[in-house]
Amino acid sequence: MDEATPHTEPVEVGLKPSLFKAPFYTLKQSFNNKFLIRNLVRRELRGRYRNSVLGYTWTFIEPSLLAVVYYFLFYMLAGNPDELYAVWVLVGIIIWGCFGKSLQATVTSLTGNKNTIHLVYFPRIVFPVTTVIGNIVLTLMSCIVVFPIILIFDLPFTHHLLLIPISIFLAGFLAIGLGILLAPLNCIYRDIEHFIRFVVRAGFFVSPVMWTYEMALDRGMFGEAAMFNPMLTPITLARHGLEGKASTLPHEVIIFSVLFGLIMWIIGSILFEKFERQAVKYL
Amino acid sequence: MKKSVIILNNVSLYFPKVIGFLSLVRNFFTKKNTRFNALKRVNLEVKSGEVFGLIGKNGSGKSTILRVISGIYPPDDGECMVVGKISLLAGIGTGFSPHQTGVENALLYGSILGHNEKAMTDKLDEIIEFSELGDFINQPIRTYSAGMKARLGLAVASAIEPDILLIDEVLGVGDPQFREKSKKRILDLVSRTGTVVIVSHSFGLMKEICDRVGVVHKGHLVMIGSPEEAISTYYELTGGIS
Repeated sequence: MDEATPHTEPVEVGLKPSLFKAPFYTLKQSFNNKFLIRNLVRRELRGRYRNSVLGYTWTFIEPSLLAVVYYFLFYMLAGNPDELYAVWVLVGIIIWGCFGKSLQATVTSLTGNKNTIHLVYFPRIVFPVTTVIGNIVLTLMSCIVVFPIILIFDLPFTHHLLLIPISIFLAGFLAIGLGILLAPLNCIYRDIEHFIRFVVRAGFFVSPVMWTYEMALDRGMFGEAAMFNPMLTPITLARHGLEGKASTLPHEVIIFSVLFGLIMWIIGSILFEKFERQAVKYL
Repeated sequence: MKKSVIILNNVSLYFPKVIGFLSLVRNFFTKKNTRFNALKRVNLEVKSGEVFGLIGKNGSGKSTILRVISGIYPPDDGECMVVGKISLLAGIGTGFSPHQTGVENALLYGSILGHNEKAMTDKLDEIIEFSELGDFINQPIRTYSAGMKARLGLAVASAIEPDILLIDEVLGVGDPQFREKSKKRILDLVSRTGTVVIVSHSFGLMKEICDRVGVVHKGHLVMIGSPEEAISTYYELTGGIS
């Protein structure tokens, strides 16, 4: 008998374990394909800022410039804001940017890779995972901007700064759950990606990017409603971390956000695994 | 008797058509079906150690059969079963990134084809040598000519050793010398690999290497037989000089 081809029983191509295992199964597959994911992330990062003099420094130049603009805007509208207001806006933009870009990239991860999908088979969960990891890495790079801010505004340098990377991971996690839920559907109707572009733009104002958790607390009903925004937690945690204090955010708000991410991941991965194989036929 | 390693049992495949909102509503009431039937009840068994060819006109469904076997499309009807690890070679150089060097792209393409890190680092030297790129291997591949890219892709693709190899029209790249060399390498790969399914329009090659050849016509697997029989059936079906 040939050594190279061990004779075992035939298995059905592309057979998947029970859909209820999808949340873990997708994680396992991502881990098994880590070499592939690493190479794909590298491709994404290399391609991003090619042929530019400033290269990766754009990751924090862009949000910094935006923060300056919003500072003046707010100055004109509301008058004398808190002197750290520009910093809070910058943190908001960075964390929201991580969520928004990850979400948009995840939703388009199947449609954007259609050439690859047609020609080779590997677990398709690799595409959204790659794109979210790429965005998290870029966002972490943009966090270098934190160090000059600490010097300029004379903020304490404490272990609470660790809340910033934690928030970035939470933002990425919230994005991937929602993204993989919609990615197969986007193969059929591209309306989804146009709608998500609107959601990301609108979410910018609905989430505490230009305003803060503390501002919301003074607004009664409106402030209460804001607590149900899962993105409130990562943005506020990052701000409190930069301020160098333990977060004053109520525990139930944090738990709500994390639970929301987990539930989205469970539902998203189940639906992704169920529909991706049929959905790629539409590409 | 040798065991079957690829079994397609009454496999049918439909491609849905993306339609606008109005026709969606209209079709809902008229119960009209707008799916395209790409494969119609295909039955195929490929035995271990066999080199199986598929011929047919453009758009007849040859490549689709390979994609069903490799798991890209799930069959809508029937079942597709395989034994062992499959590798599909189609569109040499899928996923190349123009801004990375030849070495980085070799690793990237290798991982896309499903190799682990160890296999790729072991084979890297051999791949670089076979691609004949010299110093260009450390240049970004946007500086490469089309032929150089194809050589790099083929060097990576042919370094693999799966249990079942599916080849979709990947021969015929580069200059004549490299073409000859790559054909030899593919043939070498074919002889090393247990089972091969090959799609090609090069009937000379089919006669040379295939044990059996199937003719695909409009989604049906019309007949399976010796290469000579299959080729004459192909000309009967499609009309044209024999």
